[in-house]
Amino acid sequence: MANEVLMPKLGASMESGTILQWFKEEGEVVSAGDMLFEVMTDKVNIELEAEASGVLLKKLYVVNDEVPVNQVIAYIGQEGESLEVSDRENGSDETAGSESVASYQFNNNKESKDSRRIRATPAARKLARDHNIDLHMVDGNGPRGRIQLDDVKEFMADSETKTKATPLATKIAKAEQVDLSNIKGTGIRGKIMSEDVLSQRPADAERGVKEKIRVEGVRKVVAKRMVESAFTAPHVTITTEVDMTSVKDMREKLLNQIEKQTGYRLSYTEIIIKAVASSLKNHPMINSSLQDDYIVLHSNINIGLAVATPNGLVVPVLRDCDKKGLTELTEESKRLGQLARDNKLNLEQMNGGTFTISNLGMYAVDAFSPIINQPESAILGVGRVQEKPVGVNGLIQLRPMMTLSLSFDHRVIDGAPAAAFLTELKETLENPLAMLA
Amino acid sequence: MRKISFQAAIRESMSQEMRDNELVYIMGEDIGVYGGAFGVTNGMVEEFGKERVRDTPISEIAFTGAAVGSAITGMRPIVEIQFSDFLLVMLDQLVNQAAKMRYMFGGKGKVPMVLRTPNGSGLGLAAQHSQSLEAWLAHIPGLKVVQPSTPYDAKGLLKAAMDDDNAVIFFEHKLLYGMKGEVPEESYSIPLGKADIKREGTDVTIVATSIMVHRALEAAEQLESEGISCEVIDPRTLVPLDEETIIESVKKTGRAVVVHEAVKRGGFGGEIVSVIQESEAFDYLDAPIQRVGGLFVPIPYNTKLEKKAVPQVEDIIAGVKATVYKK
Repeated sequence: MANEVLMPKLGASMESGTILQWFKEEGEVVSAGDMLFEVMTDKVNIELEAEASGVLLKKLYVVNDEVPVNQVIAYIGQEGESLEVSDRENGSDETAGSESVASYQFNNNKESKDSRRIRATPAARKLARDHNIDLHMVDGNGPRGRIQLDDVKEFMADSETKTKATPLATKIAKAEQVDLSNIKGTGIRGKIMSEDVLSQRPADAERGVKEKIRVEGVRKVVAKRMVESAFTAPHVTITTEVDMTSVKDMREKLLNQIEKQTGYRLSYTEIIIKAVASSLKNHPMINSSLQDDYIVLHSNINIGLAVATPNGLVVPVLRDCDKKGLTELTEESKRLGQLARDNKLNLEQMNGGTFTISNLGMYAVDAFSPIINQPESAILGVGRVQEKPVGVNGLIQLRPMMTLSLSFDHRVIDGAPAAAFLTELKETLENPLAMLA
Repeated sequence: MRKISFQAAIRESMSQEMRDNELVYIMGEDIGVYGGAFGVTNGMVEEFGKERVRDTPISEIAFTGAAVGSAITGMRPIVEIQFSDFLLVMLDQLVNQAAKMRYMFGGKGKVPMVLRTPNGSGLGLAAQHSQSLEAWLAHIPGLKVVQPSTPYDAKGLLKAAMDDDNAVIFFEHKLLYGMKGEVPEESYSIPLGKADIKREGTDVTIVATSIMVHRALEAAEQLESEGISCEVIDPRTLVPLDEETIIESVKKTGRAVVVHEAVKRGGFGGEIVSVIQESEAFDYLDAPIQRVGGLFVPIPYNTKLEKKAVPQVEDIIAGVKATVYKK
């Protein structure tokens, strides 16, 4: 019996994974420990090893297929071994037992994955078998859509006259609006293969397309989650200006010391994280999640830090920020930031956030309306620090000013408590020594 | 050729044999002067005398036992049971004795007897006189089961049954007795286990027995006008069954309908269906095999309901159409 390769469950919340690539081809020899495939969850991309040695007999899914966890996705076994392939749909149903398992002779040329799901008469099956016809391609006109002998004969007659194309080629042609009848097939008996279609479609440049970036991986997840948040949670964004004079002084005083200890330079970000953590302690409603009929107040203050990477936005989480000093926070945030940019974060490092900070201060951005990172209830947008004239004790002075933008979920938090939190945060930053109190 | 009735063909077959072979005699209720419940033995007592055409009391198990004993000791008895429903009274003699003797004595004893009996519905004789119980007996190793459908077949098959050294159950459908057909005057034998293709066709094989052969032929006639060509096969004997003829036909047509009057559930049709699908014909099947059989009810006394309880021509047509359905 061949070994099953399953879609792994990589996290408690993981329900499915998308296959990003296969490192082995069918028929290739695989040793336990070899990289076999790469999977994308809604949080990370992970390369997975083969757990058994042998020959990769059959891949049941192709790249970009999304597969539920614990589903069989491939078989590793002995060369020439016949496979007992269980129904794809019921793959995780252990109780199905041998009765629902169809005997399946491994066959490389077979396009269909499970011929058992086809309703066809023995005579139709025999004719299809004798002529290498995939019954999935044949329309059944018998009772309950059963494929009868005549249906296969008609299909054969049609294929003589009609353009023959692989299912993938047909799909691509449809998506690209390419007329198959103008394409010369390079497959067996002139069958049109996907490559034939791809080489025939009008050049993108002619259509004014510079480049097409496939929405996949992190980009796809970001897109999905942003839509979910924006259309689920009623967002309200409030802003305030913070005088960063004291923070600036504090940073200069601590800079060398922390650099000596950690090798990292303290930035405003870490001080803001610390101030946010300190303020959240007094405003538990802001550090909460809406879960079904309950607003869940979190005992931990885990702050996510939005990091831009070439692939898209990721949010590593700094845990228990209220219990950590600036040295520790600096070290951790710099390390996680680097891991994020290198695309090496693991799931653990991205789970469990209770509040998120998005910092665009390195750009010429003052205020913006960040989208809440669900299932959290609020997010803080940080703008640049810029010298501005402000009134101090009746005089106009130039002060380093920074705008904070707090977006909150109005289902959970009303305007007043949000304003109270933002006010406390502002005061904390303007008098950072208060954090030590 | 001259035409005689089914009933006369049977009488002629028996009489010719009794003239040739003095070991053959017939026994049953009211078969002497009365000529039998359906008149099959009319005039025979006059020709062969009471010794060889023996009236019995109403005692099926006793005279069947006597027949088994006389068969084993060298005679070749023919037993007439008034209604096949009464077979149930003498099943022990038939199943436990007649069917087993030759086997249990290592072939040293033979049981050359024929048990003739009218079966089936259609004469308003109600639930206890209208059954079709052939499947009960076809189930028993050691018994042969014959169901002729025409006068010609009846005469030839009965000759083969009388010549056979085993117990043969010979079912005569009540509605067929009056049916006339061409029958040669001389004695002839049709081997047991040889089916007859009553009509050739290319689209659907109908396997029908006894009276159903005629309904199937009528159905085939009507279906022909709709462009459906049916091949009608009469197995003639259920045991032994001519599997080859049936299988070859289904390989040709790819579709099969099995028809009998007996109640569909547990009927012999299920056996024929299995024979087909277990054979190499399976790969030629282009539709599920249909069974057309009697309803799962006792035969009603009311003649309209009686007709409804067993397959009619339109039921066979529906069965055929189910196998050639196309959207």
